[in-house]
Amino acid sequence: MHDSTKRCTCCVLSENFPKIEFDEKGVCNFCREELYHSTEKSYIDEATRAISEMFEKERGKAEYDAIVCYSGGKDSTLTLKLAVEKYKLKVLSFTLENGFTSPEANKNIERVVAALGIDHITFRPSKKFMRELYKVSSIYEIYNKKTLTRISANCNSCISIVNNTALKYAIEKNIPFILSGFTLGQIPLNAIYYKTNYAFLKESRQSTMDKLTDLLGDDVHKYMGISDRVIEQVKTYPVNINILCLESHTEKEIVDEILPLGWVPPKDVDGCSSNCRLNAFNNYVHETKYGYSPYELELSHLIRKNLLSREEALHKLLDQPMDQIRYAMKDLHIDESQLPRFKVQ
Amino acid sequence: MKTEVLTKESIQESFLEFLCQQFLVEREDIELEKSLVDTGIIDSMGLIEISAYLQREYDIKITEEKMNRNNFGSVIKIVDFVIREKL
Repeated sequence: MHDSTKRCTCCVLSENFPKIEFDEKGVCNFCREELYHSTEKSYIDEATRAISEMFEKERGKAEYDAIVCYSGGKDSTLTLKLAVEKYKLKVLSFTLENGFTSPEANKNIERVVAALGIDHITFRPSKKFMRELYKVSSIYEIYNKKTLTRISANCNSCISIVNNTALKYAIEKNIPFILSGFTLGQIPLNAIYYKTNYAFLKESRQSTMDKLTDLLGDDVHKYMGISDRVIEQVKTYPVNINILCLESHTEKEIVDEILPLGWVPPKDVDGCSSNCRLNAFNNYVHETKYGYSPYELELSHLIRKNLLSREEALHKLLDQPMDQIRYAMKDLHIDESQLPRFKVQ
Repeated sequence: MKTEVLTKESIQESFLEFLCQQFLVEREDIELEKSLVDTGIIDSMGLIEISAYLQREYDIKITEEKMNRNNFGSVIKIVDFVIREKL
């Protein structure tokens, strides 16, 4: 395993990560100052208490207590298991089939929902739209730079559709909670649970939606927009909750928890994904455009929490199969020359 | 939670410090009277982060109804909102 990138000697943040500075020992300012990853126990304790109270109050009132965004990956599989077995919620499992899900991940979804005995729905957007969305997300600057410190543009496009679709289902079925499998490091500490003013959220996403509409047409609103009708119609919006943030599992512990459900690690994905065959390409695009991996922040957080060794994190970052990158470029009709190149400032 | 006497100036100073640290921007990038979203400083998740920061720092309750452009439309509006909530 050879890594020629200059990185922090404690975590895996690299020299091109925004605002990074190294001291004489090669330790980055994020490790020194705990920027981004302050996991104050009081925050977690308060979230644990608040989430338990919310579940207690709403459990059993609607057809489903929660809709769980389920990708088939290991984190969302554990989220689903915890929702059903630990929190005793009646859940509706929901998968967005983006056209690049590993066949083994699809089998995992089948096996896990069967083992948990829960209802499941899959939404499969037009393959043509998804290809075009991924293509423009790869080539153009669509999203806020801060957003892209945590996630690749293509993953963000996909997750926007997941969130939007889950919200529509939740509103339609009066489901009080939307559960996702994000962990700390992927989201800010104070986003463990939150409610949003969707009218303001819609305004805040206007510039992104305008860019996407210019490039892709009005279908963008169908898949990623929040309609005025929905906003006017709804009195109370669901609460978004990331219950995995309350847990402290190593990757091995997560896998050990979900293996009894019939979950099998897919072999046709990169080191940072356990369900998506587009992820290697997404990371490649991000590194080409910005000079660092979209997983550096998350993996560095896990290292600081002693949930992952630095060596394991490096192994994940460097496990980017070229065959998957080439496959995605061919499928999306993207030429290498179309990708903007990162320039050292 | 802040316990010292709050003034517009002190709230603004603390808030700008928070923005610079959390959103990887320099002070000179922040236009006080313009929307933080429109100027690309924050995204929709940033609104959640700011809301949680204000609730924690100033012990105020921010319901989703209060997260609107009148209250969160700029640094100045956010500071004024905190002052109103603390009255």
